[in-house]
Amino acid sequence: MPDSNPFADPLRFERQVPECAIVIFGANGDLTKRKLIPSLYRLAYERRLPATVSIIGTSRTPMSDDEFRAKMHDSVKQFLEDSPFDEEQWICFAKSLHYVAGDLSDRALYTAIKEKLTALGRTNVLYYLSTQPSFYADVAEGLGAVGLGNSGPDGWQRIVIEKPFGHDLASARELNQRVHGVFAEADVYRIDHYLGKETVQNILAFRFGNGIFEPLWNRRYVNHVQITAAESIGVEGRGAYYQEAGAVRDMIQNHLLQVMATVAMEPSAVYEPDAVRDERAKLLRSIRIMSPQEVPLYAVAGQYAGFRHEPGVDPATQAPTYAAATFFIDNWRWAGVPFYIRSGKKLPKRTTEIAIQYNVAPHALFTPDAGGVIMRPNLLILRIQPEEGISLRFLSKQPGSGMRLRPVSMDFNYGSSFGERSPTAYETLLEDALTGDATLYTRQDMVEASWRVVEPILEDWGSRKFEFPNYDPGSWGPAAADEMLARQGHHWRNS
Amino acid sequence: MNPAVAAINPEKILRDLRDLWAQLARDQGSAGGVLRACSMTLIAVAEQHDAPDAEHARKTIGILMHGHPSRAIVLTPSEGGEFSGRVFAECWMPFGGQQQICSEGIEITADAEQTDEVARLLVPLIAPDLPVVLWCRGPRAFLDRSLDPLFPLANKIIFNTRAVRHPNSAVEFLRRMRKDGRLVADLAWTRLTGWREAVAHLMDAAPEGWLAASSNGRVRIEHGGIRPGTRSLYFARWIERALPGVSVTLARVAGQAGMHSVIFEGGNAEMSIRLVGKTSLEVRTGERVYSALLRPDSEECLMHEELSILGRDPVFERVLG
Repeated sequence: MPDSNPFADPLRFERQVPECAIVIFGANGDLTKRKLIPSLYRLAYERRLPATVSIIGTSRTPMSDDEFRAKMHDSVKQFLEDSPFDEEQWICFAKSLHYVAGDLSDRALYTAIKEKLTALGRTNVLYYLSTQPSFYADVAEGLGAVGLGNSGPDGWQRIVIEKPFGHDLASARELNQRVHGVFAEADVYRIDHYLGKETVQNILAFRFGNGIFEPLWNRRYVNHVQITAAESIGVEGRGAYYQEAGAVRDMIQNHLLQVMATVAMEPSAVYEPDAVRDERAKLLRSIRIMSPQEVPLYAVAGQYAGFRHEPGVDPATQAPTYAAATFFIDNWRWAGVPFYIRSGKKLPKRTTEIAIQYNVAPHALFTPDAGGVIMRPNLLILRIQPEEGISLRFLSKQPGSGMRLRPVSMDFNYGSSFGERSPTAYETLLEDALTGDATLYTRQDMVEASWRVVEPILEDWGSRKFEFPNYDPGSWGPAAADEMLARQGHHWRNS
Repeated sequence: MNPAVAAINPEKILRDLRDLWAQLARDQGSAGGVLRACSMTLIAVAEQHDAPDAEHARKTIGILMHGHPSRAIVLTPSEGGEFSGRVFAECWMPFGGQQQICSEGIEITADAEQTDEVARLLVPLIAPDLPVVLWCRGPRAFLDRSLDPLFPLANKIIFNTRAVRHPNSAVEFLRRMRKDGRLVADLAWTRLTGWREAVAHLMDAAPEGWLAASSNGRVRIEHGGIRPGTRSLYFARWIERALPGVSVTLARVAGQAGMHSVIFEGGNAEMSIRLVGKTSLEVRTGERVYSALLRPDSEECLMHEELSILGRDPVFERVLG
């Protein structure tokens, strides 16, 4: 018999999620209501989950299965993205929902989960930690204490851990050690939902599926790269969390460094989970670590006026709601090219994008005196959200007499080329975890490498007292962030 | 050029398309405008003298546009040597969206005998630098050579051998086209995806059964109708290519044309897959019996699957030989 299935046809066959159970810890929380259950419902709607799937929610709140189903019904109706709600489909889906109440620090909860899984006859289990991060290790150990968590010939046991993976390098390592006491690394899925976004995945397709761009993707042609994740809203009721996390832990250490790694990594030999993750990890390890003296030059903290008046926020908090940093990658491809990363709340608009600015043409043939424009560099914009797509800015001759040049944009818009609905990041990532594909999940070495990158910033900011607030809501952040780029002869692309 | 053909001016059609877009933008006014979407040229050839078929093609294209926005060109054969062309747009509002997405279409009515002239007309109407898919909807392509001039225009040609009278000749025709370097597809093969998936899952779930079947095993494909259709022929070849040691036979049973069941025997193992009703399969392996739902086999679903594969399809190519 051949080693692999001779009947396989990956071009046409759907990936098959095997008969399994999904156990969600923190089933009464926002993430479960807004993302997890709506995504699972949508996967079921598209018949990408087996009809026999079991979804077990757990939290402290006492609830019957039916009460849990009613609650999730309302959530799915409210939070389902880009697709209509189908009441008939819900009736089928709701039968797969179960609920177990209990305290995360109480062994009885894990025993009850084990009994439930046994009663349902499920040996393949995905545990999803959507709890407070401080409980992650306890849950893993709680599962281990009742004999759950070990993959074996009878089935797999995987654990999905939401960010943050620790609050610094030491705590990330400790969390890892405790989780590894129960789950093998291959069964640990650290989720970073940015990597599940279609447009982030498209960066790899764009770079490595085309022959035209990759030769220009290096220090010889690229002047600098700007990665922006801007929110127009504030902390929206998450003040207490945010003042603990701050912009670096919330966005840069995980999402934006992962995006940066995707933009800058070397191509892997094959598109397989560990091959791709090896390259991402290698890139993260190549980011130059700032010295304490460099932090004030290469990192800027900001806090918007009014943050300290948000509910649950300490009126004297030093937590940054804005962070910008300049990173350099110490390898042959990127040596000397600044990567500017920024993320902030209450900025003028919601946008996440990567702007790759190319060097200007080496000789200015069309000068302003001759009716042209001041030479403007070519820009390649990868838009992650909203209006997902790719734009290339270049100069073009204006119609009419004379040689007047004007910047124009060549646009690719995801919506216009693929009219279909794209799966949400959570749909993609949940299906990946259920089929054992870890390509878009972060590995422990990647987590540690990214903590190493931001740790000097966190240490410096933790020891300083800032003159906060230092930017107005609706502005593009503190002036110091503009000055940071100006020192390199650059400016933020604020449009 | 035939004077009747000359009545269709490609430049005028392209001008009409430009006017159509301008009109659509004006109609939308300040309501967000329209997004022009085009990822390929899809040329659909309706069956000869069959107005309902052209209508059906247009409807299917309207549905397909959501996932595969295209410049659609519908070729409708005329009875009296009439030649004419008109443009149209297919628009839809994505769920929760604020901007209409529109794809453009061209309908050309032309004498069925003048396909070489039509092919020349089509060249300037094809959206540049994008894939071209030719969709030959019925058995016409197999009956005469009238569609041959259209083939060089396309990167991929989709046939439908479901209703052909001579399945073996149709498969041979496709094999020759493949040998000539053309990318071909057949919706009869697409209809087999659900069956093939069920077999692949059987392999995943019970590899020991296949171990027995792979050497000196037997597979019987039961079909209705007087002779096996292209689907049964494809399926038999697919099994033979995957497990060269297996003996595959086609057996006629009572009932409608098409595949009814597949029985695998080898050693002491027996597995079977039977069609139950129109949309599900009953899978038996040892003591275990379960159902597998077939994918919908509406024309738009089959086309959607084919349009998602614009490159080579190595499995189908192996089957064609």
